[in-house]
Parts: sequence; structure tokens; C-alpha cells
Amino acid sequence: MDMNEIKEIFFQECEEQLAELESGLLKLNDGDRDPETVNAVFRAVHSIKGGAGAFGLDDLVAFAHVFETTLDCVRSNKLEPGPEVLKVMLKSADVLADLVTASRDGGGVEESRTRTLVKELEALAHGEMPSASHDAPKPAAKPAPAAAPKAEAPKPTDDSGFQPIPFTFDDFGGDEETVIEGSTFEVTFKPRRDLYAKGNEAALLLRDLSRVGEMSINCDTSTLPALDKMDPEGSYFGWTASVKTTKSEEDVRAVFEFAEWDCDLEVKLQEATSSDEELPMIPVPFDLSALDDATDGNLTDEAKASEDDASAAVAAAETASSIARAAGAAARAERKDTAAAAAQNNAAASAAGAGQTIRVDLDRVDRLINLVGELVINQAMLSQSVIENDATGTSAVNMGLEELQQLTREIQDSVMAIRAQPVKPVFQRMSRIVREVADMVGKSIRLVTEGENTEVDKTVIDKLAEPLTHMIRNAVDHGIETPEKREAAGKDPEGTIKLTAKHRSGRILIELQDDGAGINRERVKQKAIDNDLITADANLSDEEIDNLIFAPGFSTADKISDISGRGVGMDVVKRSIQALGGRINISSRPGLGSTFTMSLPLTLAVLDGMVVTVAGQTLVVPLTAIVETLQPEASSIHSFGANQRLISIRNSFCPLVDVGRILNFRATQANPVEGVALLVESEGGGQRALMVDAIQGQRQVVIKSLEANYTHVPGIAAATILGDGRVALILDVDAVVAASRGQSLRAEMSLAATG
Amino acid sequence: MAAKKAGSGNLKLSAVLDLNEASTLHGQLMAMRGSDIVLDASGVERVGVQCAQVLVAGARAWDEDKKSFQLAQTSDAFEKTMQLIGINPANLIAKEI
Repeated sequence: MDMNEIKEIFFQECEEQLAELESGLLKLNDGDRDPETVNAVFRAVHSIKGGAGAFGLDDLVAFAHVFETTLDCVRSNKLEPGPEVLKVMLKSADVLADLVTASRDGGGVEESRTRTLVKELEALAHGEMPSASHDAPKPAAKPAPAAAPKAEAPKPTDDSGFQPIPFTFDDFGGDEETVIEGSTFEVTFKPRRDLYAKGNEAALLLRDLSRVGEMSINCDTSTLPALDKMDPEGSYFGWTASVKTTKSEEDVRAVFEFAEWDCDLEVKLQEATSSDEELPMIPVPFDLSALDDATDGNLTDEAKASEDDASAAVAAAETASSIARAAGAAARAERKDTAAAAAQNNAAASAAGAGQTIRVDLDRVDRLINLVGELVINQAMLSQSVIENDATGTSAVNMGLEELQQLTREIQDSVMAIRAQPVKPVFQRMSRIVREVADMVGKSIRLVTEGENTEVDKTVIDKLAEPLTHMIRNAVDHGIETPEKREAAGKDPEGTIKLTAKHRSGRILIELQDDGAGINRERVKQKAIDNDLITADANLSDEEIDNLIFAPGFSTADKISDISGRGVGMDVVKRSIQALGGRINISSRPGLGSTFTMSLPLTLAVLDGMVVTVAGQTLVVPLTAIVETLQPEASSIHSFGANQRLISIRNSFCPLVDVGRILNFRATQANPVEGVALLVESEGGGQRALMVDAIQGQRQVVIKSLEANYTHVPGIAAATILGDGRVALILDVDAVVAASRGQSLRAEMSLAATG
Repeated sequence: MAAKKAGSGNLKLSAVLDLNEASTLHGQLMAMRGSDIVLDASGVERVGVQCAQVLVAGARAWDEDKKSFQLAQTSDAFEKTMQLIGINPANLIAKEI
């Protein structure tokens, strides 16, 4: 496995641990004092530290260590996790997350931030432990670094069972010196091409060899051809190494265990270096720092070490049974140690994640989803052709087809469920934003989340984070008043922002509610008039005024944002929600706060659409865009200007958009009376009536990207394949509506050319 | 490439010099043949024997051409692995013991 892949997995796990950490800390913040919560928090930091250590991410390790130390004080009840303590901890969690991100993507974290927090954490750790006299017994001792620096002194007494130090190689060597002490092996090693081709790496083998004992190496480069004649993937180097070790020949050979078929290997016993049995053998420590770039995990090393010990013990048994017994016992002790550690690891792992999961590459899931989409289409085509050829409709084939249809539906649902993920990670990120922004503007705000486990397609989740962040920032910055104002208004000085997710009729509904001052409609309206968004005498309902904040052009109003509340970049938010096939709404009650409601599709892979006919072409109009459908009457059609027409619906006029004309399906305007009008809501909130010839029905269609398979077509969002095997285009309602306002569909494409 | 022939060339070695990188490295060296070369191994995180082979062969080829073949900077990982496999990282010649 590639180092980078392993690292990638580490970072993924880090994210999970960070989420765990944050949710644990928030639980503590809410007064949860369950030791298991504290343990979960501790474990999360500890795991991050451990992994970071393996990758040599020193900054991360250093910070995690201090954090862990303080957490340990909480765990051992030496430090009461009060609000002040938790504030520091939450901040530390944020910094830890930043450090992880910095380690992954490069860049750094402000050192001052880290340093202040380190100081605060250390102060917490030390301040509350004046005397280490009552070193509370720790549950199932963690590895030594877990302990606070101060607690380290009395620790060995606690952890005697976990003390691998008494058993070392020194003792081992001392015992064994009578048998095979310090023999030197001459190892000749010449890898063949296959060794590399199988992904083995001679350098790693040599490294392992160097760990067996003291090694000096001589590289034989005589077979290396000239640069221009060489095969870069060939094998030319050979090595002669002499290894001075206390281990047996088998141990030396074991290094090459997995490569012995792909290399020429010779291991010879050279001579015993020392025959003086009285002199205790002191193995010369090999400079292990040369192995810092180790790619193996600790586990394999540990396992190997115990294996080595065990086999060494066996060798000893052949000659001196009494010594071997001791050695064997020692080896067993070591094994028990590793087993205990492994068991602990397992326990930790199982406690961390209930239920088994696998990590699957997103590409694979997407491919599966795509294939299931094809299956659904194919099934529809099959049943259609059967129905066409079988007028009776009672045959066994039809029965089978119906079952097949149900099965494919079920498969499709299950596959979609694979991509579905809880919105929890996004919500959790929001709590950090609330904390940070609230800190910045000096407000005290609480984020309450609900329905975090509501599941939605991963793509939707990924794209949801940005608009949500924006809205949360707005809510904190402008929505909630300052504590003084709140108190003056008779409210709790601490503001509350409520973030809710729930399923509602095949869509996900996300609500963001604040208990701030609400929208100052007077100011919003005035600003809209100043910005020429509405005319001065426009008569707007409260709701229409509230929705003005989504209007493009309103976003630049930075002055009003201080007073009225909303208005920074809300058009961007609306656009990104709409790009996801969603809608956003706001309702506001003066003095009581505002509520944003977002309704999003559960998946972007399928779409509920209305299949319509326009000039002989089949089109699909996303159902979410359609407000209502109606049959226009001649009396309600009014001409307006040269070629604009309006339709009057319930005493209001709405521009009529001839889809066939705009998409250039026909040269002349269609007669509205012969068609059907679809009333759609478009960008900017205005309603338009789209003229189509006929409605065929409603259907769930599998979205096929046009961009991926062909190229972008103006006015068309995507394509799909219908039951009869024909391709139908999915209408981009917003683009068509925009085109009806006089801009050509190709305007944006050829802007540069036409000037 | 033609322009490089005249003067001296710089080559920044990639971070992971593994099996897959050996051919690339070989190609890069072949292309820079005939001019002095300075290798930058400061960013190297991992070296496989095959890339080491290419580098040693390169050093020899440059030696034959009477051009200079230098390692400007080396990372710790580069040094250590080279030492481990018995190649002097300073001049890319097999060490005598």
C-alpha cells in the first residue's frame, strides 16, 4: 500500500475522531458527566496523537499531547469540567482540527493561537493537581504517554502489568550467550526483477535486516549497465552484508521470508565474535533513527519482535532447557503484553464505532448507482415493449415484469441509501462557526441541532455546507442582537440558533431559526427602492419584502446589514440551494426572529419530473420548479409589446414563455390556447408561465449528465432516457426564463465573440 | 530540451522515488544528458532501490561524459536510505567497507 493512501486513511479517521471529540465535548458542556463520554473524548485525542506520531506530524503530536494531558486530569476527576474549562477545550478541539487540516493540506496554524491554548491547557492541568499524592487508579492503564507529565513518576507502580521494560533484549542476550552469542552472518542478497515487480522493496528488506543486529553493508553495483542501456525497472544491485547478531540464522532468513523466491539469498555463519562466556554480551544498538522513515506500523514490528523472541527461545531450548524455560516465560510475558495491548485497542475500536462499516471508494458507489440507473431504464424499456406486443396483458411475462419492476425499485432505493449520509458532520461544523463568530462579535449564542441523523445524498451534504455556513454567520452576526439589547427587550441574553433537519415528502427540510430581532422590513424595503430593485410605490406583502433579501444586488448593501439584519450574499445562498434543486424561504416575525427553510432533494441522481411535449420533442421539467399547471383560455392571453405575451391568472399577469420558441424547436410562436401552461417559480422569486404543447405525465427519471457525455447545451440541464429508449432533455427552467427576458440563450456562451 | 543541452540542468527529484517513478526519472536523466546537472533531493521522502540504481547509473554516465553530476540538497530520508543500501549519498558511489 502506498504511504499516501495510508496517510489519507489516517486523515479520514482523524475527521471521525474530531467529530467524536466535538460531540463529546458538547455533551460535557451540556452537563453530561458520564465517564464514558470523557473516555470517548480522551480516546479521540489519543488516537489522533498516536496516528500523527506514526507519520511524524510533530506539531500535531505536541499539541495533542498537551490536550490529552489536560483531558487526563478530567478523566481522573482531578479537574472539574466546568464551563470555563470546556471553553478552553472546545477551542483546543478547533485548533486540533486546524492542525489536522494543516498537516493534510499544507499551510500552518497561527503559532500564537496554539501557544496560548497550550499555556491555558497546561495551567488547567497543573492548577488542579497540587499534589500527586492521591494518584487515582486509572482504568486499564493507557500507554504511558497518556499520563500527565507530573503523574509519570508514580505511574510504574500503577502499571506494573504494563511495563515492558523489565524484559529487554539485554537480559535475553545475557541468558543466551552460552548458546549462540554474537555470531556474525554473511548475507548475500541479490534481488531479481520479479521482486520489485511484486511490489517488494529491497531497501525495506535491508532495513529489516539491519534491525536483526548490527549490520555493515556493501553494495555490489558491478552489474549495473550504462544509463542508456539500463532498464529502469530492472534489478542490478546486489548486496553483501555482515550482520552481527544474537539471533539465529533462521531469524536472519525470516527477514527475506516473503521475497526468498524472487532473490538469490545466501546466509552463512561467519564466526563467533566472542567466545568469552563470562563477559555479558551487550548488543551494540543500531542507530534506529536511521529507520525513522519506517513504513510499517508499530503492530507488525511488535508482532515481529515477539516472534523473534519466541523462535530465539526455541533455539535456546535445544541446548539449554533451563535457560530456555526462563526465556520462554519471558517471551510469553511479552506476548501477553502485546495481546493485552491489542485487546485494548480492539475494545477501544469497538467502543468507538458501534455497527460495522466498510470504507468504499466513492467512485465505486457512483458506478453502481449509474448501473442501477441503466437497469431501471432497461427494465422500463422491456416492460414497454412487452406491453406493446402483448395486448392481452395477462401473460406470465407481465407478472414477472411487475416483480422485476418492484425489485429494481428496491435495488435503486438501497443503492441510493448507500450514498445517503447523516447531516451530522455538517451540523457539527456549524457549531464551531457559531462559537467563533459569536466570540468575534461578542455575543453569547447557543446552537441547538435537531435531526442530525437525517440522511441525505453525500453530494447534497457536501454542497450544503457552504450556504449553511453563510446563513449561520449571518444569523450570528446580524440576526441575534447583542446581549444588552436582548436584555433590554426582555429576552434571555444568550441567543439561540436552532438548526433542524427532517424528511418531508421525499425531500429533506432544513430549518435555521434564530430568536433575534427579525427582519426590519421598513429598512429592507427602503434599501430595495434605493437599489432600484422595486419601484417606490410597489405594494408588497410582508413575505415579499422578506424575500427581497435574496434578490441579487441586495447583497452589496453592507450598510443595512448592520441595522436590519440580513442581506450579505443571500442571493449566493439562494443560488447554491437552487443549484441543488432546492428552494429556500424565509419567514420573519419582528422581535421574535427569523426562520429560513430549505427544501432539498434527497439525491441528485434521480429527479421527479413532468414529462411534456414541445414541438414534437419530449422534455422533462423538474417537478420542484412547477407551482401549478393550467389550460390557458383565449380570453386570458394578452399581447404585450411586439412579441411578448402575458397570461392573466387570478387577476394578476404573468409573462408567458414559449419554450418551443426559445429552444428553437419552432420558428413561429405557438398558439397558447392549444397548449398547456406550467406556472414555474424561477430565480428571483418571479413566476413565469412556460408554454408546452402537452403533458405526458409525471415520472421519476435518472439524470444523465450532458456535460459528461456531450457538451453543455444552453437551456438544458441534463438528459435522461425514457422507457421507450428515447433520450429526453431535462429543461433548465431558470435558463429558459432568463432567456425569455430578452437575453438569448447563447448570450453567455458567445458574449466574448459578439462583444 | 535543446536549450538545456548547452548549460547546466537542474532536476528536482520527486517526493516518492518508488518503482513507478524509476522510468520517469530515467527518462528525465536521459533527456538532460550531455550537460552538467544538479539534483535537488531535498523533497525526497522515500527512495526505492530502483531509483537508486537509476541515479547511480546516471552518476556514472555523467562521469563518463566528463560532466558534473551533483546532489545539491538531500533530505534525511534520502540520506538514510542511501546509507542503508550501501550507497554513499554524497557521490552516489558504492561505499567500501
